[in-house]
Amino acid sequence: MSATQEAAEVAMPERPGLLARLLREPAAALSLFLVVALLLAAICAPLLAPTDPYDNDLTKVMQPPGSPGLPLGADAQGRDMVTRLLYGLRVSLLMGFVAVLIGGGLGAVLGFLAAFYQRWLDGPIMRLVDIMLSFPAILVGLAIAAIFGPGIFSVVLALSVATIPLMARIVRGSALVVMRLDYIEAARATGMTDARLIWRHLAPNCLSAIFVFATLRFGQVILLGSALSFLGLGAQPPVPELGAMASEGRNFLFFAPHIAVVPCILIFIVVLAFNILGDALRDALDPRLRL
Amino acid sequence: MASLTDMPETPPLLRIEGLRTVFRSMAGDIPAVDGVDIEVPKGRTLGIVGESGCGKSVLSLSVMRLVARPGRIAAGRIMFDGRDLLALDEASMRGMRGADLAMIFQEPLTSLNPVHKIGFQITEAMRAHDPKASAQVLKARAIAALKRVRIPAPERRFDEYPHQLSGGMRQRVMIAMVLSCQPKLLIADEPTTALDVTIQAQILDLLRELQGEFGMSIILITHDLGVIAEMADEVAVMYAGRIVERASASRLFEDPQHPYTIGLLGSVPRLDEERETLLAIEGSVPPPFALPAGCRFHPRCPFAEDACTKEVPALKSIQPGHAVACLRAPIEAVVA
Repeated sequence: MSATQEAAEVAMPERPGLLARLLREPAAALSLFLVVALLLAAICAPLLAPTDPYDNDLTKVMQPPGSPGLPLGADAQGRDMVTRLLYGLRVSLLMGFVAVLIGGGLGAVLGFLAAFYQRWLDGPIMRLVDIMLSFPAILVGLAIAAIFGPGIFSVVLALSVATIPLMARIVRGSALVVMRLDYIEAARATGMTDARLIWRHLAPNCLSAIFVFATLRFGQVILLGSALSFLGLGAQPPVPELGAMASEGRNFLFFAPHIAVVPCILIFIVVLAFNILGDALRDALDPRLRL
Repeated sequence: MASLTDMPETPPLLRIEGLRTVFRSMAGDIPAVDGVDIEVPKGRTLGIVGESGCGKSVLSLSVMRLVARPGRIAAGRIMFDGRDLLALDEASMRGMRGADLAMIFQEPLTSLNPVHKIGFQITEAMRAHDPKASAQVLKARAIAALKRVRIPAPERRFDEYPHQLSGGMRQRVMIAMVLSCQPKLLIADEPTTALDVTIQAQILDLLRELQGEFGMSIILITHDLGVIAEMADEVAVMYAGRIVERASASRLFEDPQHPYTIGLLGSVPRLDEERETLLAIEGSVPPPFALPAGCRFHPRCPFAEDACTKEVPALKSIQPGHAVACLRAPIEAVVA
């Protein structure tokens, strides 16, 4: 590199992109790698899985990990654990994704409305949010399962409902800050409609808060969904779902602990990876913390 | 020379009568603008001068009907092009914002949305009033507007973000955005305060040039008398929510009548006079919740007498096209 080139680069420091900033932090880089790997594994489950998830082989019942052809052993029905985990991951991640998308989406809309129409809607919406927050998510799940019957639909509905108030609060907070900025007033002075103002000017400036919270919430929702499935409210056998798998395995904890423990470890890894990634995103996106 | 009184036959583009904008508080309604009457003829520039906190910005936001809660317009009429803006519903008012009345703000740095490209923001503003126009048409118009405000390489700037532009460039972008809809009235709230002096001059030149081209009226709000001298046809001096003096720009600089105006002019350094010290007006603008009785300027006024503490002076004409709200005007009689 020549001296002039060097000088030019010192004079104009290019701000590293989001990805580069994320990768600088080892924990963040690891979590990003894990999240991508988990997503790929879930998406490609049919290609990666050695057997069919419903294929039981009674000769392999409760084989421990490391048995020939069964790196993670087999469950009580003699189904390959690797296959079950891949498909279970798929179900769990999809449940979490849909719940965060629906609950987060509705919550964000409520938050934007509360902040934008502060005079009329802030009070009613935020009191509604307070009421929603006062019910524990497990209780909501129980009630919904009692109404619609246990199943994946009930779990997704419960998780969505539990996500709405949290997202509404986060979005309202960050939208209130943006509402006070000059460009909102400037845009209003150009004669824009309220809907356009919210969509074009308010929402994009709250996006980083939404994105960070959605990532963090995704981990929590997976955990909560697994808990509901463990309690028997969610995925019903023989559908592979991580929480349900742990639940099925708990009867054999003494003879074949791997059946319950391995899904739990996978839940742990998923939740941890998303939580660390969420934290790292917050650090990378928050201009006040950026050095 | 044209002044308000010389052309009574053409109605002014904007006529504000008895405008009162108040802010609600625990202690009752606090007036920020208190009984203001102004007129802006077509194609001309009205300068509004005053210190910080005298109600200039609230006045301009009132015209746009953008006063935010807890503020509200309590009384008055704002006649614009034959329509009373205060009687319009919100949807009609929205249709007028940008298209008929436009506003540029003090801080070009924060008046543009940091997450959108320049081009997007200009085309969005145009789309608000022309929803059927195609993207290509809007883009062409936006680039033409950028070119018109003399932004170099407008095609490239179109795809840049606000942080990639300098302050002067950003103010040009704001002007381009405003002009893209060719408003009849432009309210410029301290358009050059945040810019350095050479850029200020360029922006003012640009505004004047565009005014000539499109024939729009301008309300120029500033605390900079130099800007007023350069730009304004008529001047209104504001103090504590009221207009205290109104005259043509040349007349105001030549023969200021209100003690406050005299003080303002005395506090500007000049090249054509030898002066050891600049005159300063003692004290500061009283806060709107603790306004003195009588003339609001009397505690700071060197000419104040007993009557000034009791009687509220009305804006009265002392000459055609020159009105002043002072009990002691014309001031020559007092000084002599």
